[in-house]
Amino acid sequence: MSRLVLEHLHCWYGQTHAVDDLSLVVEDGELCVLLGPTGCGKTSTLRMIAGFVRPASGDIYLDDRRINDLYPGDRNIAMIFQSYALYPHKTVREQFAFPLKASKMSAQEIEKRIQETADFLHMHEFLDRYPAELSAGQQQRVAVGRAIIRRPKLFLMDEPLSQLDARLRVEMRATLRRLQQDLGITTVYVTHDQLEAQSVADKIVVMRSGRIQQVGSPLEVYRHPANIFVASFIGSPPMNFLDCRLERRGGQIFVRNDHFVFALEPALAQKVENIPPEKRLVLGIRPEHIQLSPEAKASAIPAEVYVLEPQSNELVVDLKLGDLALKMQGDKREMGFRPQLGQTVWMEFQQEHLHLFDKNSEVCII
Amino acid sequence: MKILKRVLGIVLALFVAAVFLFPLLWVFLSSFKTKLELLAVPPVFIFKPTLQNYINAFNSDFPMQVRNSLIIAISSTVISIVLGSLTAYGFSRYSIKGSDFLQFWILSLRMLPAIAVVVPFYLVFRSLKLLDTHIALILVYCLFNISFSVWVLKGFFDEIPLELEEAAMLDGYTPPQVFFKVSLPLARSGLATTAIFCLIQSLNEFLLAVSLTTRVAETAPVGLSKVQTLMGVDWGLLSAGSIIFMLPVVIFTIVVRNELVRGMSFGRMR
Repeated sequence: MSRLVLEHLHCWYGQTHAVDDLSLVVEDGELCVLLGPTGCGKTSTLRMIAGFVRPASGDIYLDDRRINDLYPGDRNIAMIFQSYALYPHKTVREQFAFPLKASKMSAQEIEKRIQETADFLHMHEFLDRYPAELSAGQQQRVAVGRAIIRRPKLFLMDEPLSQLDARLRVEMRATLRRLQQDLGITTVYVTHDQLEAQSVADKIVVMRSGRIQQVGSPLEVYRHPANIFVASFIGSPPMNFLDCRLERRGGQIFVRNDHFVFALEPALAQKVENIPPEKRLVLGIRPEHIQLSPEAKASAIPAEVYVLEPQSNELVVDLKLGDLALKMQGDKREMGFRPQLGQTVWMEFQQEHLHLFDKNSEVCII
Repeated sequence: MKILKRVLGIVLALFVAAVFLFPLLWVFLSSFKTKLELLAVPPVFIFKPTLQNYINAFNSDFPMQVRNSLIIAISSTVISIVLGSLTAYGFSRYSIKGSDFLQFWILSLRMLPAIAVVVPFYLVFRSLKLLDTHIALILVYCLFNISFSVWVLKGFFDEIPLELEEAAMLDGYTPPQVFFKVSLPLARSGLATTAIFCLIQSLNEFLLAVSLTTRVAETAPVGLSKVQTLMGVDWGLLSAGSIIFMLPVVIFTIVVRNELVRGMSFGRMR
């Protein structure tokens, strides 16, 4: 059982407020991803949990025990570093034994654990090699082995896959996730790659400029982004954003902008009833939630095909709407026609996936 | 073209090596020559070697002087490496107020010309009653060697990624253990490089040694300089002495050569 609780953490580097009032609960056995662009405070948060950086204020609890003042080595936390931080002067066997030796474990027990870990990671033939003699993927496994051999209460992973090539990264991603679930160790995982976050996380914490933007399951942050930042950060290609206003006519509510106007379905209209028409809004729609048709439809908006980006079985179409640009994405076969460059197509937004944001506060309204 | 370049390179390297090694060969041969052969013009290269020069050297004060030199040089090197590595680590890993100024101050000690401090040192050691003792020279050489080792070793410690030390901290090691088990072994080549420079520097030093010692703590370079007597210079004895005196550094260099090569191409002293 290990539950990590962060309460009102603050961290300053000189004048920079690196982490600003961060509160978070990571439940036992959960894999929590801190996601955000470079400099958003995710690594600083991790380093505070590890004990390399002292928070300016706030508390860190591991299993209801306040660990702020504990030395890193006394926190029973293992970390996988971005660079793996393997000791160049030690063989794999010695790397594995190193954390165990610190806890004054008997030589027999150490050897037993090394064998178990080597079994688990299929590292037997590499035990007597030095890190420089291993490939990037093997080094990564050594880093993992050194972390799990101690059976820590908490795993910290700082961009553990960023040094691997694309193929290996996808493979290791699954391996890490499986391993974490098998061992049931509570994990805090830092990455700036939203795809990676989506694929490993139980819980995603989106951060920006030291502040938490949203906490939720991968699906929640994708389906119900709390604000424009989260909406734009999650998903690839990113969500389309279009400035707009609401307009009431004949009992219906329309979304209007210089280039288009369309009526909101009654379910949506109900939710925006109280929004004054002069309020400046931003409409957000994901590329995969736009439907194209070659023929004119009453409710559809005409646009010009600007660029075609075919992918294996999907097609990304860049559309031009006056001076606005949008991307749509769809399955090649389900599209029903092949868009041509320069062709005029009619697009429809799937309204159940439509978002409206307040232009000033950037907060999601629906 | 490629082969020609390679051959030219090798020829050039051999030529440079020959230029540097020739005096050494000369001294080596001279140490086995009699007085007559030494002064022969043109010089002889094929002769019947004699060990007389070495026997003479061993029967003089020279062995004692070599012993003095080794005691002083090794002590000063060990002290400098120990204090230097600790200081350098501190500068490298902790932010200290006025760190840049302190570092420059330490380096500036190294820039001090020895001749400027000979007289003050003499007076200080005279009043401390330390003239002609090992301690005096060890202390003085430490002054130069510590500043040197701090400066060089800091470069080596700077290159060790902080993450390695953080990993060791998380693994349950205290900061001193991290230093001895992770940082110091990784700075091994730096330690070897620094040690050899300190050793050579202390063994070769002449000016301070000649002024601060008279007999008991006299070092080999000072002793060798006194071979020049009323009867002229005993070149054979001088050569034999030089060869004996060279051995410790040659042996040490051979022992640590791997670290040395790595050390020269890593760290600040490129």
